[in-house]
Parts: sequence; C-alpha cells; structure tokens
Amino acid sequence: MRKDQIKLVFTGNMGAGKTTAIASISEIPVINTDVLMSSGASADKERTTVAMDYGELTLGSGEKLFLYGTPGQQRFDYMWQILIQGGLGLIILIDNSGDDPIGDLARYLDSFHDFIQETGAVIGVTHTDDAPRPDLQMYYHYLQERGLQLPVFPIDARSRESVVMLIQALLAILEYG
Amino acid sequence: MLSKLATIQLEQRLSKLIEQCSAVDAAVVATLDGYTCAMKQRSQQYPLERLATMGSTLMSLGDTITAELRLGTCDNIISENKNGIVAFMHIDDNLVLITLATQKNALGMLLSHSRRCAEEMKKVVV
Repeated sequence: MRKDQIKLVFTGNMGAGKTTAIASISEIPVINTDVLMSSGASADKERTTVAMDYGELTLGSGEKLFLYGTPGQQRFDYMWQILIQGGLGLIILIDNSGDDPIGDLARYLDSFHDFIQETGAVIGVTHTDDAPRPDLQMYYHYLQERGLQLPVFPIDARSRESVVMLIQALLAILEYG
Repeated sequence: MLSKLATIQLEQRLSKLIEQCSAVDAAVVATLDGYTCAMKQRSQQYPLERLATMGSTLMSLGDTITAELRLGTCDNIISENKNGIVAFMHIDDNLVLITLATQKNALGMLLSHSRRCAEEMKKVVV
C-alpha cells in the first residue's frame, strides 16, 4: 500500500453504527454484505453485516482512506483477523444503549489487543442521546484501569462531521503518537 | 425461523444426500446470517456450526461481488483445496447449503448432487 493510502478498520458491537458511519463519509457507493437477520431483528435493526463493509474517502491533503467495517457479532470473529491485516488504525464504535457498553468495549479491546498496541485506536460512543450512561468519564476510568490512553468521543454515526472528527483524531494519534 | 417440520425435512434430505453420494462427507444448511438449521456428517470430525457461519460470510461476499459486476445472482462458490472440496450454494434468498468432500476428483458429483438437494430443499422451505 502506498504512503498516501491508509487502511482504517471500523469495529464494534452490532447496532453501533459501523455500516452507517462508513456510508456517511464514503465517496464511493459502499460495498456491504448486510443480510436480513433470521432472528433477533428489532424495529431499528433488521439487517446485519456478515463479511465486511467497504468505503473510500480522500482527505484534503490527498491521502486516500480505505475504510473497512467488520461484522459486529463475535461468531464472525474470523473476519476481524482478516480485515485488520495491513490496517493502520482501529475505530471502535460502542452502542451506549446496549446492555453492557463497557463490557462490549472490553471485548473489542481484548480481541484487537495486539493490533491496538501496534497501531492506534479511537472510541466512538453512539446512541448517547437515548442512553446517556455510562458517561464519558466512566469510559475513561475503565480505560485508565486497563492502562490505556485512547480518546473517547460521543458521535452520531449518521453525521459526516462526527465520523470525520473521529478519523482525524485517529490520524493525529497515528502521526504524533 | 424455520418450523420444526421444515427443519426435520431438511435433516432428512441431508441424510439422503450423504447416502446417495458417497463423495459427500458433510453437509450443512445455514441461514444467510450464519445460523445452523440442519447438519449431517459421516463422522463427527468437522466443526459444522463454524462452517455454517463462514458459509454465510462467503455466500454473502459472492452475492456482493456478482452484484457489483452485474453478473446476476451467485449460484455456487467452490473452494478446491489440497485435501478436499467445499461447495456453497443458495437454497433460496435466506438459506445456504454447504457440502464438503474429501475426494479431490469429486467436484462434478458434489455439485450435481448438492444442486439437486438444494432445489428440493427450496420446495420444503417455501
């Protein structure tokens, strides 16, 4: 991959907004592998990603971002290891309205531990309007307990500005440490 | 989700597939989001639930690729390997049939029997 080409990976639990986030910033029609859920579908979640999402974004500086989204469900974890190959950073999206958002974060930090150590990561917390707790302080407290310094942002995955801000934060970490 | 009757019928059809085609060592029916509906194998040596999940991933990628290239629906995906063959095919829009053979020269048999099985299963799940 050329120096001006950067592969970033979106991960996070089902319903956190990975597919939506990539779609909100991609300059090409997003390639996705969403299928109808055979069980567990809800009014606001009928489809789920079973392989990957893919989009592209060119930054003002000319750098091209290749954006990959993982499936959210743990049983597709073999795709997680495939998709991070060649990746330069990780964006973890956590649905704050889930049963155990901090537990969800823990699972992704564990699963991507080596990749995060080698590259960098940012955390975007979604659905905070509906579910204000845990608040950001609780996330930072948990990260501190694990000895991690990662930025956490409340974001709206439907908002281009919101997702671009998350990416810019990740790129800053990758560039300046 | 499938009815209990439909699930039993799928299992019976998988048993028939394994009886009729000696090349087939294992067969699974999975939903397109990766849940196992029915499975049979000659000996308990393959992790078929894991194969069902991976089959849904692969079939979905096949559908995505053929849609991008405007080649119509993806009928089969064939994985030919050093020690065997795995075939993935749609039963309908929501179900996938995955069959496995360890004989390397069994591709034709595997595909023809599996296709017939998938077509019959389609009638069961309508």
